[in-house]
Amino acid sequence: MSIDVKHLAKLARLRIEDDKLAKFEKDMESIVAMVEQLPEVSGDASGLDPEHPMKLREDVEGTTEALGTDKLTRSELLANAPKMQAGCVVVPKTVE
Amino acid sequence: MELYEYSAHELSKMLSEKKCSSEELTKSVLDRAAATDEKVGAYLTVCAEEALKKAREVDEKRAKETLHPLAGIPIGIKDNISTKGLLTTCASKMLYNYVPPFDAFVMKKVNAADMVVTGKLNMDEFAMGSSTENSYFKKTHNPHNLDCVPGGSSGGSAAAVAAGSAVISLGSDTGGSIRMPASYCGVVGLKPTYGSVSRYGLVAFASSLDQIGPFGRNVTDTAMLYGVICGHDNMDATSADREYPDFTALLNSDVKGLKIGIPEEYYGDGVDNSVKETVMNAVKELEKQGAQIVNISLPSTGYALNAYYIISSAEASSNLARFDGVKYGYRTENYDSLIDMYEKTRSEGFGDEVKRRIMLGTFVLSSGFFDAYYKKAKLVAIEIVKEFNAAFEKCDVIATPATPATAFKLGENIGDPTKMYAADICTVTVNIAGLPAISVPCGRVNNMPVGLQFIGRKFSEQTLLNAALAVENNYGEAKPVNV
Repeated sequence: MSIDVKHLAKLARLRIEDDKLAKFEKDMESIVAMVEQLPEVSGDASGLDPEHPMKLREDVEGTTEALGTDKLTRSELLANAPKMQAGCVVVPKTVE
Repeated sequence: MELYEYSAHELSKMLSEKKCSSEELTKSVLDRAAATDEKVGAYLTVCAEEALKKAREVDEKRAKETLHPLAGIPIGIKDNISTKGLLTTCASKMLYNYVPPFDAFVMKKVNAADMVVTGKLNMDEFAMGSSTENSYFKKTHNPHNLDCVPGGSSGGSAAAVAAGSAVISLGSDTGGSIRMPASYCGVVGLKPTYGSVSRYGLVAFASSLDQIGPFGRNVTDTAMLYGVICGHDNMDATSADREYPDFTALLNSDVKGLKIGIPEEYYGDGVDNSVKETVMNAVKELEKQGAQIVNISLPSTGYALNAYYIISSAEASSNLARFDGVKYGYRTENYDSLIDMYEKTRSEGFGDEVKRRIMLGTFVLSSGFFDAYYKKAKLVAIEIVKEFNAAFEKCDVIATPATPATAFKLGENIGDPTKMYAADICTVTVNIAGLPAISVPCGRVNNMPVGLQFIGRKFSEQTLLNAALAVENNYGEAKPVNV
């Protein structure tokens, strides 16, 4: 199967340089050719909910006590931000 | 004999009997790291000053009170485990400067036991790889042969323990990332039952498969460290709420009556004949000691690798969406819009293998392909679980090679992703089924170590450790390799 790497990259917020495109296409095609070899397994017989195949488990709410074990200050949380101004994270303008 | 050469259980006794101090021991391990790491390349960050300070504190504390058996013992940590105040890069340019403001659950446990962290260990970028060649920063070499890879993704964790630049270490295992490097480097590595060790603070790759686990040069050390890190944590919704025994106290190498399942699918064409023979010889030794060999079948094994790469990449594409250059980590220099910043940041910050996995995950989850890939893979995963359940009706543990061959040469597979992926063929089923498994050295092929993998029922770590101890008693404990 031919893989549209440019489109996939766009969906994944990646950009593949033109000089690397051919190599990525070749790699992705051989990877997809490998992983697509899967048997037909009936969804109903397996116990998997066919409407929700991505369902992993029920989420469990953590207790307040547990959530409070890492009490982080604002400055600790922001200490790793690449660009800051007046205590805020700087990002490019998104609204004109 | 230098202090770094002793095992953790020997050192535990020596420390409590005041035959050495933690400061002397830590210095010995740091000196060993300084002497070997230029060749081995196991460490990304060495924190010598902090380690020596901690060691002195533990020595002072020991004068006043009884400490945990692993107190004062140096430990190395894989660089995808969050360490408060200590660089945690995941071997990626994306996190080249990231200093976590919090400790992972396992680090809280390690610190509470007063262990001494010597540094952070190299790995494949975001744990994606089987050779540690995908690290953005450096290559790690196998201490048994510096031309060979240490395996991956926890290559630094295995190589450090093998070389003696760490007494014990922590790694993580999503598809074999503990067992495979343990096998290649001739040390013991345990991938615990999914849910037995909290993933809180482990940088997520594939959340339904990831699990933190211990490395040691012998089974006892591995059991001791596992005893420290297992346990319930409210901060991980998948954490199992149960009691754990004292694994070390219950270690017992008597295999009389132990039913060892041999699945034919793990001894097929894709596995090197000498490796098969070496592993079977080790199993036959156990048979002589009273174990029973039972032939079993796990028919979906041949599809496991494909299902694994679909499921793990799907989860990775979602998990790695958080790296956008906004709140932490790398951000590109020049950009003219928000989207431009995202795309440039991610393209410059991630290496090629990470990009391939993100794109594979994006592909299998995209409209029109979902049913043919992701859903099918999840159905295969359920088949694999059923087959393991049926197998464990007939046997207590399953014995397989941990890897299809011994360590390959650096550069040998790096140009061919599917060839690299095939190195995980013996290990991925375990993660898919959430089972525990251990790799223990069982001899050598071409002068490189071979690992025997025992797979067990959920939460049967004690059975695995005991079986591994029986193998270790037949082959001897690993000692630090000369490099």
